[in-house]
Amino acid sequence: MAQFLLMLYDNPADWMKLSPEEMQKALEKYMAWGKGPYYKQGIRLAADAGKVLRGKSRATDGPYSETKEVLGGFYAIEAASYEEAVAIAGTHPHLEYGGAIEVRKSWGA
Amino acid sequence: MSEVAQTVPLLEHLFRRQSGRMVAHLARLLGPAHLELAEEAVQETMLRALQVWPSQGTPENPAAWLFRVAHNIAIDVVRRDQTLREKTDAIVLELTNSASMPPSDPGIEEQLRDDELRMIFLCCHPDIPRDSSVALSLKTVGGFSVREIARAFLADDVAIAQRLVRTKRQIRETSLTLDAPGAAEMERRMDAVLDVIYFIFNEGYTAHEGDDLIRLDLCREALRLARLIAASSLVQPRVHALVALMALQSARTEARVDSAGNLILLEEQDRSRWDQQLISLGFHHFDRSMSGYDVSQYHVEAAIAATHARASATGSIDWKSILQLYDQLLALHPSPVVALNRAVAVAKVDGPQAALQAIEPLEADPKLRHYYLLLAIRGHLLLELGRRTEAAAYFRSALECRCSEPERRFLRRKLAEARGTHCPLPRV
Repeated sequence: MAQFLLMLYDNPADWMKLSPEEMQKALEKYMAWGKGPYYKQGIRLAADAGKVLRGKSRATDGPYSETKEVLGGFYAIEAASYEEAVAIAGTHPHLEYGGAIEVRKSWGA
Repeated sequence: MSEVAQTVPLLEHLFRRQSGRMVAHLARLLGPAHLELAEEAVQETMLRALQVWPSQGTPENPAAWLFRVAHNIAIDVVRRDQTLREKTDAIVLELTNSASMPPSDPGIEEQLRDDELRMIFLCCHPDIPRDSSVALSLKTVGGFSVREIARAFLADDVAIAQRLVRTKRQIRETSLTLDAPGAAEMERRMDAVLDVIYFIFNEGYTAHEGDDLIRLDLCREALRLARLIAASSLVQPRVHALVALMALQSARTEARVDSAGNLILLEEQDRSRWDQQLISLGFHHFDRSMSGYDVSQYHVEAAIAATHARASATGSIDWKSILQLYDQLLALHPSPVVALNRAVAVAKVDGPQAALQAIEPLEADPKLRHYYLLLAIRGHLLLELGRRTEAAAYFRSALECRCSEPERRFLRRKLAEARGTHCPLPRV
């Protein structure tokens, strides 16, 4: 089993159009996804721009404030192969709601 | 760290319910002119839940969590907003005080109910056009989205969104308040509210094309709003009558279509499929509507629905009483649709020929010329008289009108019957 990182990108403004009923449905789907056997950890990032460090200069505000799509959070999951990891990511409700998921493999196994 | 996310399932419609109450509550604190800010704060609150709950688990008391976070977000929203200027500090203080009330305080529940009632009366203010009241009530009190409202009314998203913007502007510019109407004004205000609620119900109940689920939601929401008023100190006998009417009609929803989705006429419905809980709710409110001298349109319509519900079997429907009630309704509320429904009762009591004569004047009405129900009823009466060719022509014209797929199938069945090629549907 290898470890994979799933990075979830979305445009927060898209969510403002959903109805309360749809928000609840989405929430329930997100929660259900996290119950899969592949799940190791999930971290949701705060909705600020973050800070960026480059070389010795001072930290600057993150690069995301100008773009619409932001990194909202990530999961660590376990999968046998890239193929399986992509298949697991493909079942995440984030994709239904217009988000994107980047799948990366960790070094090792 | 987050593997133990709680799995407590959320109450059905929790977000929809709570969003309506939170918007109403925040709108009172912010002032109705800033309804938009209240909505924005509530939407952000739900988004926050979506962001946080999947990794941290659902809070022990989700409604209280939403309530608290909505206040905090509202404070941010108010500080961010430039238009409030010198009022900002006072509003922030109000929000802070309101947020610090413990959610278990029974006073809060009462306050929220009161806020919701005030919001209903604001949305349904008689100065606001009815279509706008309907959209605004569903959006703010009902927790429906623009898209859901558009789907329910077969309208365009943009048109609904614009209607909401216009209505909120009207509230702002004419300084409509959330104050409870005084006794002198009450009659007019209540009538406007009931009219909007009944309109929402009818839109949901009348089966023309459109999404079934959302239509069922409209009926439930209308019933919920009316019950909310019926349980408040503002109640009048006509409110009970409206609750009775909607409950008794809703009880038949399931029985209106068979397993294949075919429409079943009231007379042919399997009465065991009527929802007994709604029927008893209906009769409970029907009894309570009888206090006082008030006889509203809703009283008479509830009495008609009650007469149907009371019949133990199709054969025992008291059509004579129903016809009398329709006569009364027509006097109270003259409308072609009422006249059309009355004609069905006339056919039962005095025969199809008399019913044909009763609907004749309606055909002169250009608005009704393309109303499928008028054509269908006319066809049905002609068929009963054995005038098959004429009947077939009416069913054909009815099929050209706007109607739902089950209604269309029903009309095709009647057309086949008129042509003599009728093969009876298997009874389910």
